[in-house]
Amino acid sequence: MDDLFVRVITKMILPFIQLYGLYVIIHGHLSPGGAFSGGAIYASSLVLYTLAYGLEKGQKRLSHNTSAIFESGGILFFIFFGILGIVLGHSFLTNRQAGFSMGNLGQVLSGGLIPVVTFVLGIKVMSTVVTLFHNMLEEER
Amino acid sequence: MNFIIGNINYIGAMVLFVIGLYTVLTHPNLIKKIIGINIMETSIFLFFVSIGYVQGARAPLVDPGNGGQLLVNPLPSAMILTGIVVALSVSAFALSLVVRLHQLYGTIELDEIIKIRSVETDD
Amino acid sequence: MTSMHFPVYILMLLLGYAVIIPLQRKLSGKRFQLGILLVLGVTVILAILELDNVIRGSAYRYIFGSYTRGIGIEFIVDEFSALMTLIVLILAILIVIYSFKDLDHEIHPTRIKGYYTLVFLMMFSLVGMIFTNDIFNLYVFVELLSLTSVAIIAIKNTKDSIFASMKYLIMGTIGSVTVLMGSALIYMVTGHLNMTLINGEIGMVWEQYPINILLAMGFILTGFGIKAAMFPLHNWLPDAHSSAPTPSSALLSGLVVKGYVFSMAKLMYRVVGKDISTEIGITRFIIIFAVMGMIMGSVFALSQRDIKRRLAYSSVAQIGYIFMGLALATELGISSALFHVISHAFMKTALFLSAGSIIFLTGIRDVRELDGIAYEMPITMGVFAVGAMGMIGIPGTSGFMSKWYLGLAVLDAGYPELLIVILLSSFLNALYYMPIIISAYIAEHPDRSYAPEGTCSPLPMRFSMALVAVGILLIGLFPNIVMDVIQLAVPTFVNL
Repeated sequence: MDDLFVRVITKMILPFIQLYGLYVIIHGHLSPGGAFSGGAIYASSLVLYTLAYGLEKGQKRLSHNTSAIFESGGILFFIFFGILGIVLGHSFLTNRQAGFSMGNLGQVLSGGLIPVVTFVLGIKVMSTVVTLFHNMLEEER
Repeated sequence: MNFIIGNINYIGAMVLFVIGLYTVLTHPNLIKKIIGINIMETSIFLFFVSIGYVQGARAPLVDPGNGGQLLVNPLPSAMILTGIVVALSVSAFALSLVVRLHQLYGTIELDEIIKIRSVETDD
Repeated sequence: MTSMHFPVYILMLLLGYAVIIPLQRKLSGKRFQLGILLVLGVTVILAILELDNVIRGSAYRYIFGSYTRGIGIEFIVDEFSALMTLIVLILAILIVIYSFKDLDHEIHPTRIKGYYTLVFLMMFSLVGMIFTNDIFNLYVFVELLSLTSVAIIAIKNTKDSIFASMKYLIMGTIGSVTVLMGSALIYMVTGHLNMTLINGEIGMVWEQYPINILLAMGFILTGFGIKAAMFPLHNWLPDAHSSAPTPSSALLSGLVVKGYVFSMAKLMYRVVGKDISTEIGITRFIIIFAVMGMIMGSVFALSQRDIKRRLAYSSVAQIGYIFMGLALATELGISSALFHVISHAFMKTALFLSAGSIIFLTGIRDVRELDGIAYEMPITMGVFAVGAMGMIGIPGTSGFMSKWYLGLAVLDAGYPELLIVILLSSFLNALYYMPIIISAYIAEHPDRSYAPEGTCSPLPMRFSMALVAVGILLIGLFPNIVMDVIQLAVPTFVNL
């Protein structure tokens, strides 16, 4: 799409969408949201950028190699934290008994393992949704 | 009448499920079949959410000030998040298969595809 | 050395390597294949150690996150789950060895990495489905298995396979959505998601809310019936299994369909319980559908010319056997059904791999053109003959033992007329397998054109086919190694 209005408005509004997506991901254990919804909001900013500026510029922002690293890294991170629970003597994916600090109720850095895993999975969901969109556009040409 | 108004969530969910199933089974256009699957999945989400509701309770966010309040069951909401992601994946996969079918057969109506296939296998 | 964390190690190895495969840049043949074989080999060794551990000790439960039962996801590790995991991993490693040479001819070279990623994800979800004790976790694994098994058909980019995978995807998704509706109905009245806790409450719930349980079991029967190809809902199976690449056909027909049957058995006997299932009448319906499937599946198979379609309809008939054994609701019935799950997995894998090998070398798919092929491809035809003899039920193969146990179970439960159905179905099986074997061994062979590899299949393919055939004969001659383990597991299958 070659419209001037769409390009200017996209450039102005993109940081706000990304900030809101990051907010929903990071506060996943305190308010409604979490990895999936925050990741989808963050991804919609990159989809808007691709729609306004074309496929080549969109792929420069998030190339195939970067998204492969994000996705694989997300799952390996999750497995690593789970195995950490086994190494310290309890079951898979233990939270308080494996020594992760619980913090105070209602603050961002609380809940042990949950904010870290939510953040990594949020980035992973973002990369997945954008990759789905880019693959469908590439199929067309 | 009171019975219907009291349980309108469940009745709506079942009606939507049957409408979705009817759409998948009768329309020959493949995109409409995918829309029918989405309608069926949406009806399940409605059903799940209305299971978790407790009469006269607040949203399930813990308030450190005053404890001991009645909260809505948060477990069905967590299950629906997973369900929404599954519905998204199935829709994305089905749509990319439809794109490929259109490239191979030239049409996305199911009865025309069957006619083309029966002509090919008879030769 | 043993530890109670082995099921988690197996699952994490499969999932972890599934995501490492796309990151490997150089697809340099030998190192890539060696990596896959190494990881699968380690999981097979872990499964053997786990089976040993459970047989020596007793079945146990493993709760994620060190919570109590009902808060965390729970795995129940009993003898049959460990045995089934071992069989799934052994067959997977043999099929993957077969596929190293076969895939170059069937799919585009840039998609081979994606194919192995999908196979690993399929194994992960299948092993997870076998162990789990939580109805929503079961739904997640069912969806993952459904998506990857459709992708493994659609990866071969031809007209037939894309059409078959579209049909499978739509019907499979209707099935999953229906299963989720059934689970929601059960959660609504009991308030638990853990299968054992639901079983504790189900007696009281059945008095107060019988309609919920009836509706839930109806939805679950329909949903799993579509996915496990129970008779009237089996229409997707012949197209899907015959137009897929050969390793995918073997994986789908031998392992994936059995996973769904096992989950349905768990839901019928561990969640709702044997008494309520019989009282609702679900078992009567399943017996009627299973009998129709056993006869009609074989009748349809008689009229097929394409060899893979004939094998696919034969799968429909054999799944009828398994459902009939399950619906008898006695201990001997359930054990014989589970024994047939394992023996049919071996036999169908052997049949599909040898049929694929014939197609790989000569390109022939029609059963009328297979004259005299046994002299040119002795090992391939030998494996096919062993598999076919197992299906018919000739003594010495595992198929004979499973029909024997099923016959005993049917007489024990008090339905002697079903024995006539079993014999009739075996006769129909013989009607469509024997002509292939006879014409392959006895008739004169015309001149045929071969692929550049010559008249001999490559070594990996022959190796894996021979090992599967050895497995069939081993289980047939010594059925106790499998049946004892199953009979240890059936009492705890119902309540632990």
